[in-house]
Amino acid sequence: MRISSYEPIVGRSAIEELRLLSTKLSGRVIQNINSTFTGGGVAEILSRMVPLLEQLGVDARWNTIKGSKQFFQVTKKFHNALHGRPDKVTKEDLSLFLETTQRNIEELKLYGDFIFVHDPQPVGLITKKKELGKKWVWRCHIDLSHPNQKVWNFLQPFVVQYDGAVFSAPAFSHALPIRQFLISPSIDPLSDKNKELDQPTIDSVLAKYAVPKDKPIITQISRFDYLKDPVGVIQAFELVRKSVDCRLVFAGGTASDDPESGKVLAEVRERAGDNPDIHILLIPPGSDIEINALQRASTVIVQKSHREGFGLTVTEALWKAKPVVASAVGGIPLQVKNKFTGLLSYGIEGTAYVIKQLLANPQYASWLGENGREHVRYNFLITRHLRDYLLLFLALDHPEDIIHL
Amino acid sequence: MIEWLIDNWLKIAIPVLAFLATYVVGLWLRGVANNAFERWTARTRWEGSRLVVTVARRPFLYWVLLLGFCIAIQVSVLPPEVKGIIARVAGSLFALSLGWVIIVLSERLLKLYMPKIKAPQPTIALAINIVRITIIVIVALIVLDIWGVPTTPLLLLIGVAVLAAALALRNAAPNLFAGFQLSATQRVKVGDYIKLETGEEGYVTGISWSNTYIKALDESIIIIPNSRLLRDTIINYGRPLKKAEEPFHFHSRTHLTELTGLKAKNLRELVDILKQAPDGVIYYHTHHFLEQHHYLTPEPSNDFAIWVGDALGDEVLGERLASVDTFGFPNLGTLRERLVTIIEEYLSRSSNFREAMLGREFHFMKSVSVILPTSYVAHDLREFVEALRKIGLGSLYFHVFESRLRLVKGLNDFSTWLQDSLGETELGEEIARLDPYTYTLEGLRSALIQLIEKRIK
Repeated sequence: MRISSYEPIVGRSAIEELRLLSTKLSGRVIQNINSTFTGGGVAEILSRMVPLLEQLGVDARWNTIKGSKQFFQVTKKFHNALHGRPDKVTKEDLSLFLETTQRNIEELKLYGDFIFVHDPQPVGLITKKKELGKKWVWRCHIDLSHPNQKVWNFLQPFVVQYDGAVFSAPAFSHALPIRQFLISPSIDPLSDKNKELDQPTIDSVLAKYAVPKDKPIITQISRFDYLKDPVGVIQAFELVRKSVDCRLVFAGGTASDDPESGKVLAEVRERAGDNPDIHILLIPPGSDIEINALQRASTVIVQKSHREGFGLTVTEALWKAKPVVASAVGGIPLQVKNKFTGLLSYGIEGTAYVIKQLLANPQYASWLGENGREHVRYNFLITRHLRDYLLLFLALDHPEDIIHL
Repeated sequence: MIEWLIDNWLKIAIPVLAFLATYVVGLWLRGVANNAFERWTARTRWEGSRLVVTVARRPFLYWVLLLGFCIAIQVSVLPPEVKGIIARVAGSLFALSLGWVIIVLSERLLKLYMPKIKAPQPTIALAINIVRITIIVIVALIVLDIWGVPTTPLLLLIGVAVLAAALALRNAAPNLFAGFQLSATQRVKVGDYIKLETGEEGYVTGISWSNTYIKALDESIIIIPNSRLLRDTIINYGRPLKKAEEPFHFHSRTHLTELTGLKAKNLRELVDILKQAPDGVIYYHTHHFLEQHHYLTPEPSNDFAIWVGDALGDEVLGERLASVDTFGFPNLGTLRERLVTIIEEYLSRSSNFREAMLGREFHFMKSVSVILPTSYVAHDLREFVEALRKIGLGSLYFHVFESRLRLVKGLNDFSTWLQDSLGETELGEEIARLDPYTYTLEGLRSALIQLIEKRIK
């Protein structure tokens, strides 16, 4: 995708600003490091950001660490623990994490002027900083607001060695002796997942998954993960269904670093039973147009997560001008300004109540949806994300609050 | 010798007499023609008459002498072949001198008349060259014809060359004619501020025979083919306005949000942190919504007011904090004092010890501002207002909000420039009186444009 393709969406001045900022990073190498090239939000963002940064003249590169299946099971435990879920992390788990980190320190070539480490899996690479120097930033994509203290205490000594840390929501930050920045993730309005679709395409996807268009459709798109509360969504739907004739579509995929998905999917299918109005869809990776079509076919989009990093599925729904009902967790309150750009809910009954409100008041639902789209246009598109990353690297060079470039 | 002269005096006298007679008649004819020409020019008051007389007077004398010489030779007893050669030489000299006179006269007439139709200098030079080449070619053809050289192949060659030139210039021709038409109609003049329907705009700095040059708002030169200026819809704002002593360079501002890691769950914690927090924190929480939610009307209030209302459920204090008039404070320190005073007064009279539920704490953040130059520069009010239509909201925000309060300039940048560099004191004051916090950014842009357009008119 060409950077100029975004001009009709975000305006000329936004693109000019990106070009100008990029020139200030000329000759510097930004090395991104995470754990996977495919699956999950981080890989998705990086696969788009890196080529766009290159087009802007910034030398951005991307490497991944290597790890065994057991290592990724441990980091999944870390992930759950940092999200606040009780998950037993053993001494052996910590040892395996340190061993794999050491192996990656030895094998991975660290060449960037800025080394941009994403999420906890590669966080330990920072021990190489003493030897290498350079500017190191830790980008945390997950909800750290109520972390399991054992795991956080294990990771924090690594984090404080970085020059800066980046979080997706204010509540994720902690009192740390390093600079911390708020950078929301983003969506790409020109990607298959977010681009405009014509009605025949949407209809064909509904037909493929056998979802009739005869009733309003309530949708949650998310991975099959306990943290996304799929069972809670079904319960809320059942409450709505008592008084409003509608359908539920729960659609999602799996990530290569998430060994738990299959188990959750089985539980969800069991809970849905043979209710003909509930459609549990396992969407294979790469089916972005299908996800897009399902969102566009929806009347209301729900994101009833217990924990959320930022909640990019909410961003996608808002961009499609859909009324959104979401839990006030993670980065969702940044996106859903209650009663302005969507509705926040806290429990199953509350979620059911506001869904019914939206189904009964389509004009109000449409007003919320349009506001949501504008909110995303100015604050959560990939161009704003690119700008924040460029500013982040520049800010690491300038400790002052007002920087004249 | 004397005998030869006696025998042949008639052979010499006749040519001499013929020469003298021709000369006398020629002089008389010149006098008559001159008088007739002057009477005609007096009647028509033609400006070019003096030119014609000046240029043709002396050559006319030479032509009479040449004619007399020719007649004398023809009536002489010289051999016919010699007579023939001399006649050709005389004919060639006449053709060359006539060509020279026409060239000089054409050049002077073009120089006299083309500036009157405001033809640009390059167009005049081009017209003179075309006339010069045409006449030289015609004279050359006549001279060749006099000497019996076949001219048909040459004519064909010239025809082909003209055709080739016409083909080569087929794209330039419409621009050339458009250049003439622009000059004649005065649709666009050097110094006008023009705006094309395709978006190009700026002051016209030059018009050549094929293109018009305009200086854009980023000080780049845009070259526009003349034909487009005739074909497209253009707005011509006319002559330049008063130039500023110093141009206004538009800057833009963008920001990165820095997290402090500090949070408050009740009013006491809020006010305690508020007292200690850096100015960047006060600035962030009283301003970030202006940019982040600029599409909403009315825009949300400052973060403190929203949090107190929503998370603590204290709408009374929320309203008091929302009504703090940020525009009335010259710097962030006094704004902070006001916010602290409101909360402390409220705490001293109220028993509100409500706490925000888990996850709804107030997180203190600060703004790291990055100020960037833009390509827009304004030297007068026209350029200023046109740039104002184009700049990003970040630029508008910077010059109006950030510059006044965060950079502690006390006045917005626009008013300062209008007053100090352009002497527009009244307009500067009018803009300074606008409370920007009551507008959305787009609404503010419109209000500023309206004030400046009114002043220009």
